[in-house]
Amino acid sequence: MTIHFGRAFSELAPSLFDALKTVTLLAILAFALALMIGMLIAVGRISGNKILDRFLIVLLEIIRGTPLLVQLLYVYYVVPELISFVVSFFVPDFHMNFGAFEAGVIGLGINYGCYMSEIFRSSILAIDKGQNEAALALGYTKHQALRKIIFPQSIRISLPALGNYLVMLLKDTSLCAFITLGEIILTTQSYAAQTFLTIESYTIAALVYLVACIPLGYLVRVLERRVTKYV
Amino acid sequence: MSKSIIEIQDLHKQFGNVEVLKGIDLVVKESEKVVILGPSGSGKSTLLRCINYLEYPTQGSVKINGNAFEDKNRKNQEKHIALLRTEVGMVFQKFNLFHHLTALGNVMAALVTIKGLSKVEAKQIAEFNLEKVGLLEKAKNYPSQLSGGQQQRVAIARALAMDPKVMLFDESTSALDPELVGEVLRVIRGLAEDGMTMVLVTHEMKFAKDVADRIVFMDNGVIVEDSPPEVFFNNPSTERAKQFIMQEDY
Ligand SMILES: Nc1ncnc2c1ncn2[C@@H]1O[C@H](COP(=O)(O)OP(=O)(O)OP(=O)(O)O)[C@@H](O)[C@H]1O
Ligand SMILES: [Mg+2]
Repeated sequence: MTIHFGRAFSELAPSLFDALKTVTLLAILAFALALMIGMLIAVGRISGNKILDRFLIVLLEIIRGTPLLVQLLYVYYVVPELISFVVSFFVPDFHMNFGAFEAGVIGLGINYGCYMSEIFRSSILAIDKGQNEAALALGYTKHQALRKIIFPQSIRISLPALGNYLVMLLKDTSLCAFITLGEIILTTQSYAAQTFLTIESYTIAALVYLVACIPLGYLVRVLERRVTKYV
Repeated sequence: MSKSIIEIQDLHKQFGNVEVLKGIDLVVKESEKVVILGPSGSGKSTLLRCINYLEYPTQGSVKINGNAFEDKNRKNQEKHIALLRTEVGMVFQKFNLFHHLTALGNVMAALVTIKGLSKVEAKQIAEFNLEKVGLLEKAKNYPSQLSGGQQQRVAIARALAMDPKVMLFDESTSALDPELVGEVLRVIRGLAEDGMTMVLVTHEMKFAKDVADRIVFMDNGVIVEDSPPEVFFNNPSTERAKQFIMQEDY
């Protein structure tokens, strides 16, 4: 067996790096959604509303208790069916679909949002109570204190963990191959099947992810050092 | 007769089943300096925290400059309490500077967020007040880059910048190394000389004696004595106060 790394690289790599653009966009959008969802869940859970807290805990248990892959399949195949089913009672012949990209953003966003909410929650609770009291004493309302004084500090605390989640998310976009969004994985598979260059193809796919994740991890660490300097 | 800045009537505060304040009546007049003394656990901090509603009283009323904190008829209670708090400056034992802001940022923050001033105006007022506590040259430093004494002086500047009617100090020097206490007391003394109305809880007996117009002595949730410092320290009327003064052996 001979290794045709050069050939595989010149044929496969360009399309994979092209695909990496889609994947990166997917990761960024999903991460933005996750930030919003995570923040909302965290605030909901510390709001002191017991019923809301219970509800959110159940939601978290469901998300943590099922595999991400199953959630992606569910969002892509089941959720549109369910929505269509319900809406068709009011609008005859209604039918909707998610594109794979949208489903990927939503599925990854919800999953990561749930995990990230725990980071937000603990980082908010980690802020000394005196910070809140000082703000209240100056005339801040609870809401203003949370937004202007507590959040900026807790974001800094959670940054390292959030950075790790971003890198994990980028890698987990590969699971979207199962909902037909297969720029990197599916392209690699079909190239490997056609050319029998199995070793080369999958090694190149791995390298593409590595090339994306290493600088990202580095960037996150630099950013982290900067914003945590004074906290 | 000068006007009343703080009027406290029949103030009670309960934590669970424990009554910590058991009916406090206290009036503080404009530019008066009232020092609250008393053994640990007597309710000094709780009283101070009720004055700006960081603790909500269980019963009774607190008025600042004639405005009651609570009013059943008022619609937006939280907003009103927040607004009234801007008239009461508070300095904490642990400074509580905002860690993510510079000294200047700490003093500016509420001016912009709460008073709605422009950044330029806020900066001017902030710098004026940092100058007042002698820390203008540290304006760009973050709290972690300041000594405890400097942090506390910034905290005082932050409270002063809001132009409060009265300043509350809760053991504002007891978290400091002994050699840093002086610089903070000097700033507080300066304020007193400027005519600021103040209520202080302190363990610095000599300072209390110098600066106070009145000593309010608390024990077990009630005010036991309320007299000028000469009378309180030389001729206390209760046994409890006598013991307290001997223990503190200033
Ligand atoms: N949030 C709270 N929950 C329950 N009990 C409290 C709370 N805050 C204060 N207490 C209790 O109220 C009592 C009075 O406390 P406070 O802090 O007002 O006393 P103090 O006179 O300031 O004492 P010290 O000189 O030690 O600061 C204490 O017994 C304390 O344990
Ligand atoms: Mg106390």
